[in-house]
Amino acid sequence: MFYELAQSLTSGLLIGSALAVLSVGFSMAWGITHVLNVAHCAFAVLAAYLGYWSLSLWGIDPLLALPAMLPLFFVLGVAMHRLLIRTTARRAHDLGLATMVLTFGLGVVMENGMQLAWTPDPRVLKTAYSSLAFSIGPLIVQAPHLVAFGLATATIGALYLFAERTFMGKAVRAVWQQPMGAALSGIDLDRVTTIAYGLAVATSAVGGVAMSLLYTFDPATHLSWLVYVFLVVILGGVGSILGSALAGLIIGLIIGVSSVFVPLAWNNLVLFGLLILLLLLRPQGLLQR
Amino acid sequence: MTGHPSRRQMLWTTLLIWLAALVVSACGQAPAAPAPTTAPATPAPTTAPAAPTTVPAAPQGTPIKVGCSLPLTGAFADTGVWVERGYRQWAEDVNAAGGLLGRPVELTIYDDESKTENAVNLLTRLITVDQVDLLCGGYPGTAAAAQMAVAEKNQKVYVSMGGHMASFSQGFTYVFGAPPLMGQWWYEGLYSWLATLPEADRPKKAAIFTINNPVGAAILEPMPEKLGALGIEIVVNERYDVPLTDAAPLVTKAKAAQADIFFANGFFPDSVQIVKAMRALDYNPKLIAQGVGSIIPAWVQELGKDGDYVFSGTAVHPSLPFEGISRLNEVAKAKYNAPVAPIYFIFGYAWMQALQRGVEGAQSLDQTAIRDWLKSNQITTVAGTFTFDERGLPPPYNYLTQVIDGKVELIWPPEVRTKDPIYPKPAWGQ
Amino acid sequence: MRRVVSGSFALPTSDAMIGIGLALACALVPLVTPSAYALSFLFTVFMYGALAGSWNIIGGYAGYLSFGHAAFFGLGAYTTALLLFYFGWSPFLTMPLAGAVAALFAALVGYPCLRLRGPYFSLVTLILGLAMYALVLNLPFTQGSTGLFLPFLKVDVYTSHVIFYEVMLALLVVVTAILRQITRTKMGVGLAAIREDEDAAGTLGVDATRLKLQAFMLSAFLTGLVGGVYSYYKSYLDPSFVFATSISITIVLMALFGGRLTWYGPLVGAMTLSVVNEVLTTQAPPQTARIVFGALLIGVIMFLPDGLMSIVQRHFRHS
Repeated sequence: MFYELAQSLTSGLLIGSALAVLSVGFSMAWGITHVLNVAHCAFAVLAAYLGYWSLSLWGIDPLLALPAMLPLFFVLGVAMHRLLIRTTARRAHDLGLATMVLTFGLGVVMENGMQLAWTPDPRVLKTAYSSLAFSIGPLIVQAPHLVAFGLATATIGALYLFAERTFMGKAVRAVWQQPMGAALSGIDLDRVTTIAYGLAVATSAVGGVAMSLLYTFDPATHLSWLVYVFLVVILGGVGSILGSALAGLIIGLIIGVSSVFVPLAWNNLVLFGLLILLLLLRPQGLLQR
Repeated sequence: MTGHPSRRQMLWTTLLIWLAALVVSACGQAPAAPAPTTAPATPAPTTAPAAPTTVPAAPQGTPIKVGCSLPLTGAFADTGVWVERGYRQWAEDVNAAGGLLGRPVELTIYDDESKTENAVNLLTRLITVDQVDLLCGGYPGTAAAAQMAVAEKNQKVYVSMGGHMASFSQGFTYVFGAPPLMGQWWYEGLYSWLATLPEADRPKKAAIFTINNPVGAAILEPMPEKLGALGIEIVVNERYDVPLTDAAPLVTKAKAAQADIFFANGFFPDSVQIVKAMRALDYNPKLIAQGVGSIIPAWVQELGKDGDYVFSGTAVHPSLPFEGISRLNEVAKAKYNAPVAPIYFIFGYAWMQALQRGVEGAQSLDQTAIRDWLKSNQITTVAGTFTFDERGLPPPYNYLTQVIDGKVELIWPPEVRTKDPIYPKPAWGQ
Repeated sequence: MRRVVSGSFALPTSDAMIGIGLALACALVPLVTPSAYALSFLFTVFMYGALAGSWNIIGGYAGYLSFGHAAFFGLGAYTTALLLFYFGWSPFLTMPLAGAVAALFAALVGYPCLRLRGPYFSLVTLILGLAMYALVLNLPFTQGSTGLFLPFLKVDVYTSHVIFYEVMLALLVVVTAILRQITRTKMGVGLAAIREDEDAAGTLGVDATRLKLQAFMLSAFLTGLVGGVYSYYKSYLDPSFVFATSISITIVLMALFGGRLTWYGPLVGAMTLSVVNEVLTTQAPPQTARIVFGALLIGVIMFLPDGLMSIVQRHFRHS
């Protein structure tokens, strides 16, 4: 029993980190720009396809392709903000609601565009380390999980340092916490939100690559990934970088523990039930005061 | 809210316009041929091997309309497009061979976006607006089960994979599984083959993990009894929901229980995760059996070596010795660049052939005549020879398959065997 | 604050008259024997109209965006289906029970959940929907994932289409009438106050907690009713459909697309999206159809972020 628990916890926590990095951008965009980007995971699946493509066509590992993808996704995010969100924001009475419909439409367009481009067949990433595993005592750690964990740690860490240490990052936080005050102190709101948006979409690329190391994917997968994102954000609190990281790990932990002690069929119910409870106890997310 | 006249006028004008649009779109039978889905760009048909035509007389008269809905976008699109290709291939072949009852056939296939609700509405549309002469079946089981009820209410013959045993036990008389994708029969071939092994060589302890959906429930249903008869003890028996977040706990449980036969009764994505976790956790049961994910092309294409030695079942197979299969293999290669004809391509083709046999047997498009003819005669399709009972089902059967060197080989029954099984499974990576 | 808008029980105003006229016209449609498909398509349109309208009570008027209305829909559907399956009771009679079960569930979860504001409420309702799905999938008496096959209505196919058409139309009329009536009563004013500024609403003497709960239960009750009829209509029921998150999302989408601040917005949204989707499905190749649909959502919302019906309001403002 102890061995099973330790093993389930190990893999659960590593998977949780992938969920965290998938969600952190979504949470940030929501917090700062008040945009609920339902197409967030469609971007992630797009990144998964690009990674798959670079590996199968040119033999370049998705991890190596990622540095090239990041600027591309940053630009995509900026373009999305400039072309779609800002235009809508000018007329919207409630931007959150309007962008929900808007990005849902974008998700539909992207999903079917990807289906046209890559067929609806499911894909599996086969990297050099796909079937590697390491033993730590009796515990076994799968290499793709470890890589996903590394990606998540690096990305979330970088994002956190950016928000805490750089001027732009502080500006982003200021805009989120007090838009009026930030504007008064001379921060260019528009520029800051655009950059935040670009960053959010760029992290979705990291999330997509991390998820594609662990799971199969096809164009329709983005909707099931989105459910994970919602779970993480609800627990971590909207806009909280560290909250997302912690929430991802907690979800992994719950899945790991419950799959040992309750029948698997009830796992989702346990997860959802605990999340609802946590949310009712701490309505503003884990880390918010 | 007491309203300003101009505002109210605007509102009602808008509402009226929409109502008009509704009526037009709902009742409108104006477009002669509702642009059916066109198959994705395929190479010119000349590259496909010619149909084995014996009577090249061109079909004449008004076309016979055949219609259905399939999931061509959304979660089930990967399978849906192959069923569609099977249907279209059949239509092409029938038209090249002189048509059905001497008339050309015309397919109308709508996309139901992988939603059961759309599948039901579109089938009603096909029956009442497009007034198709014949129906073709939907996918997956939940959509088929819902459509079976619609077909029965409208007294239309409906040939499909069915929604597993439950859907054939409702007293429906117009539905046929020809052949069905019958979860309850899924491991028939496996049980028979295991029974031929000396008792000492058989696995002793089974771990069963089943996807929580109709297919999984159907596969699981007969397992305790069948495995019990083989002297195999079930040590773990659990169901899981999809998406499966983490496969490691499943594998750890089976490993801890020292199960030497492992059943992953699931679909493609979850089973891929399970197999990957088995390899990573270095769990080596003597036999791995998988549900409905390992017989689709993606299994060998995407999983490679790790997908080897997995056993599964099937009701149709590209290596079976039935007439027409080798041609379907050639077509699949030429048109779609598939190594062999995928299972659902053959399924789609076979369902249409069954319908065709019924129409030709009854020499009419009268649904009751077709049904009665099918229930009292034997038919031959690319999936084999069938007779149907009052439920519309053939006698229970299923083949045993094993993935060997990246190919889905037939193992059981012995007369169709394409390769000897590899048992016990070699350790991972060997 | 006693009666903000007078005359709510007086003679119906002209928009109500037109509405009643339209409803009557729709009710007479079966007399011209349209195709069964026309009836079944209109049934679906009415159903989504009624669902979006029910959702709008809590989501639009009160501004509490529920992403979990599939839970109420599914509960309603399973209530009538199980009663029919085990006891043979007609769903047309047990319909109110379907609504009541949904409302009861809403009362249970509403009290704690409605304390959450904004996105947190949306997300917790989303999870509630998922949890209900997981629960029904695993309960012993629901036949789990295999689903329930229900007996057909004992009339010929066309008549059954007519019956379901009329029943769903009646439900739509009821929902729409309630939706309109709310805007003219104290409840509507209270909900609007909660939507605009909940804290301020409290100081104005609005009992926000109670009003929200009432709106949530009413919304759930109506959604449950619709679900109760739907299960009988479809005669095959499985949890993966009636509890699907896609239903919750579709309802929200329709209401937002049409415009959530008016009583007719959700109805217009449901009609528009259903018709557009139907035309695309039947007239265009599959992926193209979906891409056009998505692009349409983007296009409309970019220029009318508050929904289609904001044109009407804008016209009013300028005239």
